[in-house]
Amino acid sequence: MTIEAENKEIEASIRDVAKKMLSEKQVDVIIGYSQGTLPLSSTPIVIRNEEQVDNLIWDNLCYINLARYLAPLMPQLCDSEGNALKIGIVSKGCVGRAVNLLAAEKQIDLDKVKMIGFNCNGNVNRSKIAMEIGEKEILDVSITGNEIIVKGKDWEQNFPYSEYINELCKVCQVKIPSATEATCLGECQQLESINDEFADIDEFEAKSTEEKWDYIKKELEVCTLCYSCRQACPACYCNLCFVDQNKPIWFNKTTEYTDIFTFHLIRSMHLAGRCVACGACSSVCPVGIDLNFITRKLEKIVKTRFNYTSGLNAKTLPPMMNFKMEDAEEFMLEED
Amino acid sequence: MEQKILKKEDIGKLYNEFSSEYKFYAPIKQKGNIVFERIENPDDIVLDYLNSRIPPKSILFPQMEVLFEYKLDDKDVEITDRQDLDEKFMIFGIRPCDAYSYELFANFFSFHGNWKDEIYLKKKENTTLIGIGCNTPRSTCFCTSVGGHPFNKENMDVFLTDLGETYLVEAISDKGKEIVKKLSWLSDAADKDVKKSEELAKKAEESFVTQIDVDTIVKNLEKSFDHPVWDEISEVCIGCGSCSYLCPTCTCFDVIDETDQYNNKGRRVRIWDTCQSCLYTLETSGHNPRDTKIQRCRNRIMHKFSYYPANYDLLGCVGCGRCIMVCPANNDLRDHLAKIEKIGKEEKEEKAVV
Repeated sequence: MTIEAENKEIEASIRDVAKKMLSEKQVDVIIGYSQGTLPLSSTPIVIRNEEQVDNLIWDNLCYINLARYLAPLMPQLCDSEGNALKIGIVSKGCVGRAVNLLAAEKQIDLDKVKMIGFNCNGNVNRSKIAMEIGEKEILDVSITGNEIIVKGKDWEQNFPYSEYINELCKVCQVKIPSATEATCLGECQQLESINDEFADIDEFEAKSTEEKWDYIKKELEVCTLCYSCRQACPACYCNLCFVDQNKPIWFNKTTEYTDIFTFHLIRSMHLAGRCVACGACSSVCPVGIDLNFITRKLEKIVKTRFNYTSGLNAKTLPPMMNFKMEDAEEFMLEED
Repeated sequence: MEQKILKKEDIGKLYNEFSSEYKFYAPIKQKGNIVFERIENPDDIVLDYLNSRIPPKSILFPQMEVLFEYKLDDKDVEITDRQDLDEKFMIFGIRPCDAYSYELFANFFSFHGNWKDEIYLKKKENTTLIGIGCNTPRSTCFCTSVGGHPFNKENMDVFLTDLGETYLVEAISDKGKEIVKKLSWLSDAADKDVKKSEELAKKAEESFVTQIDVDTIVKNLEKSFDHPVWDEISEVCIGCGSCSYLCPTCTCFDVIDETDQYNNKGRRVRIWDTCQSCLYTLETSGHNPRDTKIQRCRNRIMHKFSYYPANYDLLGCVGCGRCIMVCPANNDLRDHLAKIEKIGKEEKEEKAVV
């Protein structure tokens, strides 16, 4: 089946399930994706009745991880007394992982959240396309067959989807939410573990310390500390982020490299074993930093040491939030 | 008005004329985005760009700026003011919307009673703008709706028009006339060049697809502080600060002191702040009048389209469309303004039905 045909099928299935959920009053509202106003993007939408369901779309340009809207709770998603509404959430695999993570970490009540699962066929690598198009305005992007068709005022360029899919989507092993039918309508599966591949990280690890340092410095140098990555991340839900603590101040907010580096260092450490590999951080960065690459390194470490992948079920806590007597701690005893 | 012609391959020559006297900034490509940077190699300059992803506001209003340095002992404080304010800046290839944003900044930094922000104003005084007209405005641009124009020359010292093979050079201000005089090797422009530039300006003006009725919006906002439209506008906002950080007119800043560990010397710095941050307007008591994203989103739009007109009789938006381009949730300002514009209309229609 072509990507275009898959999208049509996915979109229809999302709308069917959404209609069913709303008509049967299983949920009060549904969070999904709708047509954006710009090419190469889509905009999240909150659906409140059946008539709005046809606004839900799936078109490989759905970047925001919708679990972001579950925690911290949006004021718009509460009733007049401030109680959480029952929410249906359109869930590609990584949204499903985020929902599981939030449930395991006791940030959401799964009785009030229902996923609309489907077999995700990935997102377009929009920064790669924008980079190749350069200084010409893109006016329309669509998928025809297996090609991404990018149009401007008097030009058109085609990109094969298989090459211009997000790097993370290329290696994704959780395309369908890992959940049971009690929490997920539509498609779901129950995964115990997965064999993630980290070829890109292996390649990076082979570099010299200087090369690694140079790479990270070059990437992060342009950061404006706008915190879009934090805001888009479903796992970054602290009421008060460490950078915003000001009694006392923990962290200087200048744009000197030390401060930028400290922010990203601490944020990625906080995500060790918690990142759900949705790539939202990289796709929202206004200056094009591949933030997910840093968290992926930590994912690899957690996978190797603890054989853990986040968000596969709603019960197991990430290793860094958990303590077991049999945890290996040889690193503490190492002498050199 | 003097009109000259600059050959495209002579940009390096122009750079060489001024690079020792001025800190020379121009658009370059960085990680796929156009940004204004201090130029070391004129070959890096990119002039056929749509608009820079990051506005050039940071040249005169850096994200982090030292205000002064200090030393403390038991009796006294010794303050060292900035010593570099006489440096001259040249900003080459700036667009009219961004050039106008410097005027808004100058207004903000000099409006409040007798206090004047010497640091900003001095830098602005020492800045020469060589701007360039916008041949191909983006579909997200709407400068013509907020009093601007893709070929607005008003705030420039020298104005360039990309004629294809060459640039038409016009000296606008007295400062600009001096600059053009220094470039004695420029050739004279022919009538056909001037005519072509006029045609390009007209073509650019006609190409705008976004039209906004700003007068109605300003009027509607006066009585819409508690309107439910803000719930809608902020619904899918993820609360990052990209829209304001990349806004050429967002002026808000925070002031912090950085001291050494003994607390006896340090520096006072101002850094960009954004109304989208949870620390913005947080009071010492712990109360924050803008505690939710509904209030924060309202503040951003109110500031530009209501408080600015009320306080300064100006609009706080130059219509560059950067916030539209950059929003990770594609929460489009044009949609917000359309909703605000409709506020009165709906009520009128309802009344008519009754």
